[in-house]
Amino acid sequence: MTKRYVLVHDENKCIGCQACNVACRSENNVPESVTRLQVRIEGPYGNFPHLHFKYNRVSCEQCENAPCVKVCPTGAAYVNDDGIVSINENKCVGCLYCVAACPYKVRFINPETRVPDKCDFCKESRLARGEQPACVTVCPTQALTFGDANDLTSEVRKVLDTKPSYQQKVNLGTEPRVYRIPSRRGGIKA
Amino acid sequence: MNNIWGSMEQYDPVVWNWIIAVYLFMAGLSAGSMLVAIGLKWYKKSRGLPTEGLPVIKAAAIVAPVSISLGMALLVLDLTKPFEFYHILLNYNLTSVMAWGVLALLVYIPLVFVFAALVFEKQVLKYAPWLAGILKVCRQLENSIHKLIFVLAIGVGAYTGFLLSALISYPILNTAILPALFLTSALSAGSAGNVLVATLFFSKEKSDCIDQVHRIEYPVAFNEALCLVLLFVGLNFSGPAAQGALGAITQGVWASVFWIGVVGLGLLVPVLSSIFAPKSWRHTKGFLITVSCSTILGVLALRHFVVYAGQSYIS
Ligand code: SF4
Ligand code: SF4
Repeated sequence: MTKRYVLVHDENKCIGCQACNVACRSENNVPESVTRLQVRIEGPYGNFPHLHFKYNRVSCEQCENAPCVKVCPTGAAYVNDDGIVSINENKCVGCLYCVAACPYKVRFINPETRVPDKCDFCKESRLARGEQPACVTVCPTQALTFGDANDLTSEVRKVLDTKPSYQQKVNLGTEPRVYRIPSRRGGIKA
Repeated sequence: MNNIWGSMEQYDPVVWNWIIAVYLFMAGLSAGSMLVAIGLKWYKKSRGLPTEGLPVIKAAAIVAPVSISLGMALLVLDLTKPFEFYHILLNYNLTSVMAWGVLALLVYIPLVFVFAALVFEKQVLKYAPWLAGILKVCRQLENSIHKLIFVLAIGVGAYTGFLLSALISYPILNTAILPALFLTSALSAGSAGNVLVATLFFSKEKSDCIDQVHRIEYPVAFNEALCLVLLFVGLNFSGPAAQGALGAITQGVWASVFWIGVVGLGLLVPVLSSIFAPKSWRHTKGFLITVSCSTILGVLALRHFVVYAGQSYIS
């Protein structure tokens, strides 16, 4: 694996506006009833008057050690050289094992294809053209940074090297590639 | 609640539903019934007793193929792409428990039918005389076939547990005890299924070796209870998320299913009734039917409890 694409979500900059959610929907033709990406506004936390919210990005974590890939009986859930966890529609039988196995609950059945669907960093469309994923491009506050963490000069590398970050559910050993910069007020809550 | 991020429906943690619970039950029933029947056969043989035409073995020859076939039918229909299920027979990802299950079933299912055909050889030959040659070969291989079925049945019974225990984020499911629990409860479902069908259709005398089947029921029930205790005691010591999952047996509808169905019908009724029921009842049809139905319902409840409560608590 030469590339190691990662995404950083800065919870200080995020305002929960869902621009990313909407951009993803239109870029990837996600049907109305389902979603690849949500930013949930959780809270309020803290004591009055010092209340704050947490902006929780919910999308595929692109686990390095992906449970969804391990359990798929046919190999329809797979990882490529680019490290991106993907789905081969033709091999999938729709057993839902991967949907059940994903600890982040981000896989869903696409009502049109009858196959599991989820964020793939826009790899077929934007990434293939050398562009950033739709959510990253559209974010009004630049809360998202995306890139190849193996590239020492990349933007993501700089962000990860200079700011404290956390990943969700690290205890499960999935090694998620979505990093989060905790809100200064919120602290780290994995 | 209105939120600005969209529908939450797809995030329901309960992904697998009752169809999977029933499949898990059917697979267990089939495997358990084979284990009990073949075990009984070996037991009788080792004592030099005749093994032909035993009601329990005849019953197993019905229970095992029928339940595994129904289970498979349900499983395939539950796929989102049922007509493309053949992909699962062509591609094997060997890190997946399900792929191993498919491999085991691929051999197990035909062998169970061979088992049944050998038990009902006369009837089979009456309707399909062209099978005579194959059956003769199978008869010669009977001993090896039994051994193979026995091993595969253990595999089928246990793999259903491993299937769920591979789901790492559900504390109730992600334990090593689950396969053992599934295997023992498969044995109780299997023996109860065999007794039920034997009593209903095949037994002419009162005790037709139903006694021997009863003899395994105590240790099996004991093991099952032990697994359940270990499961929940283990949760209690495995951090906050797992402790939260103890709610499965203390509150809500699944707690009732657990105490009434799994513990009550599945464990207490059979054990207590065989301790306290007067001798004269023990071999009456009504008694045998009631007790085995109770056991079967208990195991069915267990599979539902595990599937639903198991998926409801996520760490
Ligand atoms: S977040 Fe879920 S879907 Fe994405 S790689 Fe990890 S396990 Fe698979
Ligand atoms: S639903 Fe498809 S991709 Fe997911 S585990 Fe089953 S076969 Fe694999």
